[in-house]
Amino acid sequence: MTLTDSAAALTRLLDALEMILIESTEEEIMQAATDLGMNPQMKGSAAFAGIKYRTPPRLSDFYDVEFGANWPTSLQILQRPNLKDSDEK
Amino acid sequence: MPELKPFYGGLVLLPAETALALKLVTETDLLRLKAIARLHARGLPADVSWDDLLQEAFARVISGSRRKPEGVAMVVFLSGVMRSLRSEHWRRAQLESRDSHALRRLRDVQDSQELEPTDPTPDPERSMIAWQEMARINRLFADDPVALQIVLGLAEGLSPDEIRKMSGICKTDYDSARRRMRRALLREGLTCEKK
Repeated sequence: MTLTDSAAALTRLLDALEMILIESTEEEIMQAATDLGMNPQMKGSAAFAGIKYRTPPRLSDFYDVEFGANWPTSLQILQRPNLKDSDEK
Repeated sequence: MPELKPFYGGLVLLPAETALALKLVTETDLLRLKAIARLHARGLPADVSWDDLLQEAFARVISGSRRKPEGVAMVVFLSGVMRSLRSEHWRRAQLESRDSHALRRLRDVQDSQELEPTDPTPDPERSMIAWQEMARINRLFADDPVALQIVLGLAEGLSPDEIRKMSGICKTDYDSARRRMRRALLREGLTCEKK
């Protein structure tokens, strides 16, 4: 594949992968959410960020520089395995 | 004329939530569409995010500017709207890129006072972005050689039968790989990460 036809190839690939996602069952979707530590049945679940409510803005949305782009999200901080240990100390 | 926004319980709702309140889609449909929106947002200009695609698709359906044909599932229809929005954004980006290229050329011509032949090759920036996105998708399935064969075949525009024949994959292995791909795409699509 050449660089010039990569745009057409990406379009074909995305359209085909869309079909794979359309066929996903409720169980598969729930399992994927659970794998990510989300509970879509919970009110305000992170799974619906950007759908039912806007994703909170980040510093990288306002600055061109990489400043803050790699900072952990609050969800990642909460999911840190050692967070509970440090709280107990 | 002031812009009308949908109200529900005194709060301004996003188009996707309005569609949920109107029972056009279920919560599971919303998550399925989120994964699809993330997919179609791959390689789009930086000023367009996956949630822009998703909310715009819902807004067009709710406003009636896009009408769902009878017998077509809402998720399939909304996916099609997002696909067409993706093409619109690509065209816009391409035009903007050409405009700035043409402006630069005009300045060059004014400086040198002579015309040069136009460059007939496709937009190199878009090609490069597409190439990078293909590499990112390949990395999703890096430890799954069967899935990688399928991705390659799909990018070439081959049918499932052609991919199986070309790669020597039996139907069972093909279907299993497709399920693994779906799980990986859903995990990628439902994540909270921006990109």
